[in-house]
Amino acid sequence: MKTEKMIQLAGVTLMLCVAAAGCARKPQNTTPLSGFRPGSMTDRPGGPITDTATAINSEGIPPSNLDFDKMSADRNTFRDQTVYFDFDKATVRPSEISKLERVASEMKSSYAGKALRIEGHCDERGTEEYNRSLGDKRAASVRETLVRLGMNPTMIQTISMGEEHPAVPGHDEAAWSKNRRGELVLLTPSGGTAQGGTQ
Amino acid sequence: MIDEGTQPRINTDQHRYKNRLSRPSLIRVYLCSSVVKIFLAFTCAIGTASELDITKERDSFGFLKPVPVNINGFTGETDSVLKQDLIFMGVVHVPIEEAKYLVSGNTSNGRLEGRLVTKATKEQRFGRAYTGGSLRAQTHRFADDVANAVTGLPGIAQKKITFKVESGLAQSEAYIADYDGYNARGVTQDHSIVAAPTWADPSTLVYGSYKMGQIYIYSHNLPTGSRKAVSHYPGANMSPAISPDGKRIAMILGKGGNPDLYVRDVDGDNLVQLTHTREAESSPCWSPDGRSICFVSRERGPASLFIMSALGGEMRRLNTAGVSNPTEPDWSPDGKWMAFTSQGRDFSICIVDVRGGPAITLVSGEDPSWAPNSRALIFCRGHDHAKVLSLLDVPTKHVKDIARIQESNSQPSWARR
Repeated sequence: MKTEKMIQLAGVTLMLCVAAAGCARKPQNTTPLSGFRPGSMTDRPGGPITDTATAINSEGIPPSNLDFDKMSADRNTFRDQTVYFDFDKATVRPSEISKLERVASEMKSSYAGKALRIEGHCDERGTEEYNRSLGDKRAASVRETLVRLGMNPTMIQTISMGEEHPAVPGHDEAAWSKNRRGELVLLTPSGGTAQGGTQ
Repeated sequence: MIDEGTQPRINTDQHRYKNRLSRPSLIRVYLCSSVVKIFLAFTCAIGTASELDITKERDSFGFLKPVPVNINGFTGETDSVLKQDLIFMGVVHVPIEEAKYLVSGNTSNGRLEGRLVTKATKEQRFGRAYTGGSLRAQTHRFADDVANAVTGLPGIAQKKITFKVESGLAQSEAYIADYDGYNARGVTQDHSIVAAPTWADPSTLVYGSYKMGQIYIYSHNLPTGSRKAVSHYPGANMSPAISPDGKRIAMILGKGGNPDLYVRDVDGDNLVQLTHTREAESSPCWSPDGRSICFVSRERGPASLFIMSALGGEMRRLNTAGVSNPTEPDWSPDGKWMAFTSQGRDFSICIVDVRGGPAITLVSGEDPSWAPNSRALIFCRGHDHAKVLSLLDVPTKHVKDIARIQESNSQPSWARR
C-alpha cells in the first residue's frame, strides 16, 4: 500500500507538472509495480487543471475522494438533462452535448459550490456484471465531458446502477432506449458548499 | 448450521458388511464364504481398473458418457433426489438389463443404507450406512459416493450455491442454498442492491453491495454473520473473484477513472492494476491453477473474452468464433473449458475449449457457474426481474429449473471447495 501511495503522489505530481508547465516529465522516486504504468492513476483528482486535453490521461479521470454520501440529493433539477446512450455504447452522443453544456454552465453559476452525482444505467440486454461495468463507463464518459466543459472533477461522483434500475419497464426498444442513460443528481453539502469546490 | 457435511459419517467397510441389509440374492451369494469373498475381492480389485477404463466412454468433446446404473429399493423423496443428483454427475438410471452398476439400499429409522455393485462381476464396490442430518442430506452423500465411484469425478450434491435474490426493483440480497435450491436462506439484509455473490471458502461469501451508496466489495463470514468491506476504493468496486487458494481477489475497480481489472491480496496488500484500457472490463474469473485470469473487455469494440497472467502482462483474446459478445466467463475446475454467456438476440450458455476451438452453444440462459465436477453448470434464465436458476448437465444438455425465491434469482455461484 505504501508503494501505491507513492505512485499516487507521483501521479498527482505528474498531473500538476503537465498542467502547469505543459511538459511531461517522468515521475521520480517511484517504484513501478508489475503491470503498472507510473502516473496512470491517482486517488486525489482536482487541483488546478487548466489544460484538460492533456490533464485527462489516457485512462480517464480518477474518482473523487469527497464524501458524497452525506450530501442531500435533488433528482429534479437536471431531470431533463438525462443523457441517453446508443445500444452497447458508452460514448456521449453529439446530440446530448448541449444538455451537458447547460449542466456545466449552471453548476458554475446557480449551483456553485454544489456537487453532482452521475448514475450510469443500462438496458436489460446485457448480463448483469457486464452492464455494471458498462454503466460505470457511461457515468465516467459523462463526467469526462463535464470536466472538458470546465467542471471540477472533484465535485462529480459517478455510480453505476447497471441494469437494476430501469426508468421504464418493458422489453422493447422503446423502453430500452429510455433505460440506457446517465442521470444527473444535484448534491448539496450539509454546509451549503463543499471544500474543494473552488474552481 | 449451514454445513450438514460436518455430521459424523459412518462408513461400513464392504468386507465387514453384514447380511443385515435385506438385499438381492446375488450379493448374498457373494458374501457366503469368507474365502470366496477374499478371492473375489482380490480378482475384482484387479478387474476394476481395466473395467473402469472400458466403462468410461467419452463423447466427441471428451466428456464422460452417462454411466448407466439401475437404482432399486428407494422410495419417494430419496429415490427422486438420488436420481436427480446422479444425472448432474454423469450417472443415469436405466432398466436393469442396460445397467453397468446396481445401486440399491433402503431408508429406515432416520438412516440411509446404500450399496453399489458392479453388475457383471457382482462385486460390491461399497456398502455404507448414512446417519445424521436430514434424509435428503444423507441421500446427497450417498449420491456423491456413487458418482465418485463410477465416474472418478468429485461429487457435487453436498456443495452449496450462492446467488442473488431480487425482491423488487433495486432490492436484492445474497442467498445460499443446497445446489438443488433446497434449504435456502438469506445471508444479507442490506435493503439495497447486493450483487455477484461468490465463495471465498466454504464458510465465507464475497459480494458487492450498494448499502453505503457506492458499490463496495464485502467479505461475509457465514457462521458468525460478521462482515467487512474488503474493497472500498473511490469509485466502483465490483465483480469480485477469489483465487483458488483463497488468498487473492480479482475485481473491477473504477479508481483509475474507467472500470479496469485489478488483483490484490484479500487482506489488502499488493494491489496490481492488470488492465489499462479506455474501455470497460468486467467479470473476472480464475484459472484453477490460480495463474491466469479470464475476463471481459470492450477494448477492441464489442465484448470479448481475454486471458492474462494474474501477475500482469499481455491480454490474449480467447477465440469464441461462432457466437457474439461473450460475457461472464467461468473456468472449469479441470482447466479445460470456459463457460460463458453469449449476448446475441437472446442470451445463450456456451462453452469453448480454453486451448482454442469453436464455441459450443448449449441452451438459452446466462451467467453459468461450473460445479466441482466440471460437468454440471448452474445458470439463470428468463426475463430481467423474473429469472429462475437452472441446472445443466453439459454433455447431455439435461436442464432442470430449481424453485424460485421471491421475484427473481440470478448470478449463481457454485462452491468448489
